[in-house]
Amino acid sequence: MKSRILGAAALTAAAALVLSGCAGSDGGGEGAPIKLGSVNTISGPATFPEASEAAAAVFDKVNADGGINGRQIEYKVTDDKADPATATASARELVGSDEVVALVGGASLLDCEINAKYYEQENVRSIQGIGVDPGCFNSPNIAPANIGPFNDTTLTMLYGSEELGLENLCVLTSVIGSTGPAYQAGVDRWSDITGKEPLYVDDTVPYGGADYTPYVVKAREAGCDGIVTNNVEPDAIGMLKAANQQGWDDVTFLMLTSVYSESFAQAVSNSAAGVYVPAEFYPFTEDSDVNADWKALMEENGITLTSFSQGGYLAATFMVEVLESIEGDITRESVNEALANMDPLDNPMIAYPYQFDKIAAQDYEPGGWPVTLKSGTNAWEKAADDWLMIPAS
Amino acid sequence: MNGGALLQGALSGLAAGGVYAVFAVTLTLMSRLVRVVNFAQAATGMFAAFVAVWFASKLGMPVWLATIAGILVGALLAAIIGWIAATWLSDADLSTRSAMTVGPFLLLMSLSYILFGNKPQPFAPIFNGPAFTVTGVVVSWVTVITVSLAILVAVAAALVLRKTTIGTKLRALSDRPTTAELIGISSKPLAIGVWAVTGAISAVTILIIAPTQSNDAVTLSMLIIPAAAAALLGGFKRLDLAVVGGLLLGLINGMVAQINELALVRNFVPLIFIVILLLWSQRKEVWDAAR
Repeated sequence: MKSRILGAAALTAAAALVLSGCAGSDGGGEGAPIKLGSVNTISGPATFPEASEAAAAVFDKVNADGGINGRQIEYKVTDDKADPATATASARELVGSDEVVALVGGASLLDCEINAKYYEQENVRSIQGIGVDPGCFNSPNIAPANIGPFNDTTLTMLYGSEELGLENLCVLTSVIGSTGPAYQAGVDRWSDITGKEPLYVDDTVPYGGADYTPYVVKAREAGCDGIVTNNVEPDAIGMLKAANQQGWDDVTFLMLTSVYSESFAQAVSNSAAGVYVPAEFYPFTEDSDVNADWKALMEENGITLTSFSQGGYLAATFMVEVLESIEGDITRESVNEALANMDPLDNPMIAYPYQFDKIAAQDYEPGGWPVTLKSGTNAWEKAADDWLMIPAS
Repeated sequence: MNGGALLQGALSGLAAGGVYAVFAVTLTLMSRLVRVVNFAQAATGMFAAFVAVWFASKLGMPVWLATIAGILVGALLAAIIGWIAATWLSDADLSTRSAMTVGPFLLLMSLSYILFGNKPQPFAPIFNGPAFTVTGVVVSWVTVITVSLAILVAVAAALVLRKTTIGTKLRALSDRPTTAELIGISSKPLAIGVWAVTGAISAVTILIIAPTQSNDAVTLSMLIIPAAAAALLGGFKRLDLAVVGGLLLGLINGMVAQINELALVRNFVPLIFIVILLLWSQRKEVWDAAR
C-alpha cells in the first residue's frame, strides 16, 4: 500500500515537472522571462564565485523594480569545476537547452578557451564578469568587463619601471593551461612601449607550490629590484614570505589584481618594499561615491567585496543598460544587434568606456588604478590619483 | 651556472627538505608500528593549525595557548582516525588500512573549506627571518628549526623504541603482533597513542612552517607527496634514511630551480625521485619475479 502511494506521488511529481517544462519552453513571447546565464569556476583549484553572485544581485534588484519593460530576468549560474568537459556541457546547457539570449557575469579558469568557438558558432555573445584565460581576449563574441591578467601584466610593469623607477624587473610567471604566450605578449608590449627588457623571465614557477624560496634566492642573486608575478593569492603570499625569510627587504613586488583583497592584506605584514597592483576597477578599499552603489548592493546580499564582484556587477549593469535600449522583442538576435551598435558606456568604476565590439577586438586603451600594500599596514591604499593607462604603442 | 648559485639553491631548498623529513619520519613510524601509510598525515596537521588560527583570531586566545590547543586538536584528530583503524581494521593488511586514510584526508580538506573558506589563513609567525649567513647564503630560522625537528623526532623515536618499556612493547607488537597479544600486551591503546603522537608532531610542523610559506589547505595537505617520496628512501622502515631522503629531496628541488635547462622537470622532482628509488629497489629482481 505504502509503495503505491509513493508511486502515485512520484508520478504526480513527474507529471508536474513535465508540465512545468512545457510551460517554460514556449518562452520568448510577451511577459516571458529574459534568459541569461554564465559559466563559472565555483569549485576547483582557483575559484571565482563572487562575479556571478554580484551579477545575480544586480538582476534581482532589476526584477524587484519591475524588470525590463515588465519582463523578469531569469539568470542561471553554472559551475564548470575548472574541468573542460563540464565547461563544454555547461555552455551547451545554457546556450542549447535553456536558449539564453546572452551570457553575462561569468568568471572561469577555462570557459572562454573551451567555448569561444561554440559561442561564435551559435552566435551568442558574452560579457564576462572576469575574463581569465586568453580565449576571453581574442574572440569577437566575448568582451569582458575587466582588462584581464595580460593587460594587467603590462600595466604593473609600466608602473614599476616608469613610476617607481625600478631598473631590473624579473618576471616570474606561473603558467596555467595555454596562458604562457599571452603573458609573454604582455611583457613584450611593455618592452615595445618602454624600450626596456626584463632582467630575466622564468615561466616555470609552480602553481600551488609549497615553498618559493629557491625562486626568490635566484632572483636576489640575479640582482632583481622588482619581481613581476602573476601569482594568485596563496602563491603570492608564499613568494612574499620566502623573501621575508631571506631577509630581502628592499625588493618591490609587482602583482596582478588577483591579489587585491582584504584577506591578502590581512595575511601579509611584511611586504618588503611594497606590493603594487594596478587594480582593474576603481579601488574598493577606498571610501568613495564611485563604488557606493556596488558596495551597498554587495553588503545587502552578503557578497565578499573583491575585484571579482566588481567585475560581475559591472557586466550585469552594462547588460541591463543594453537590454533597456532594445525596442521590441528581446531575443538573441536583438541582443546581439544592440551589443554591436551600443553607444560607449561610461562608468567611473573602469578606466575606459565600455563598448562591446571595441573591447572584444581589444581595440581600446586598457587602464588600472595603482594600489599598494606597504609593510606593517595590513591595508591597501591608493598609489596614484588617477588611472594608469597603457599608451597605444 | 656556477657552483655558488647551486650551493645557494641547495641551501634554499633545505627549509622545504626539513619539512619533508619530519613528515617522512612520522610516515615511517606509522608504517613500522601501526602498519599504515597515513595519507592524512599532513592534512591532520593542516586542519589542526587552521583550528589554532581560528582560536587565536576568532576567540581571541593568546597565540601560545591557541598553538597548544591546535597541537592537542591534531593529536585528538589523529587518535580518532587511529581508533577507527584499530577497532574496525585491526586485522586488515597495510594496503587496506592505508587506503582508509584517504577518507579522512579528503574529509579534512573539505571540512577546512567549509569552516575556514578557501583563502589562506593569517598565521602569526613563531620563527621568522634569517638565522645566519654563510658566504652570502642566507639560512632562515625556519630552515634551522625544521631540520633540527626532523633529526630530533627521528632520534627521539629511535631512543623510545630501544630504551623504554613502551618502545619494547611497540616493537613486539609490530614484529610479532599475535605473540605480543598473547603475552598480554594490549595493542589498541598503544596504536592509538602512536597515532596521537604523530598527529601532534604534524600539527607542530605545520604551525611552524605555515606562517612562512603558501598556507592554503591544498598546498599544506599535499606536502604528503614529497614526504612519501622521502620515506621511500628508507623503505618506510628506516628513520635515518627518511631524514636523509627528505633533506636530499629539498636540496635537489632547490638546485633544480636554479638550472634553467631543467625547467620542465622541476615540478616532477618528487615523482622522478620515487621512480628512481623504485627501480633501484627492484634492481635485483628479474622481470617475472618482480611482476
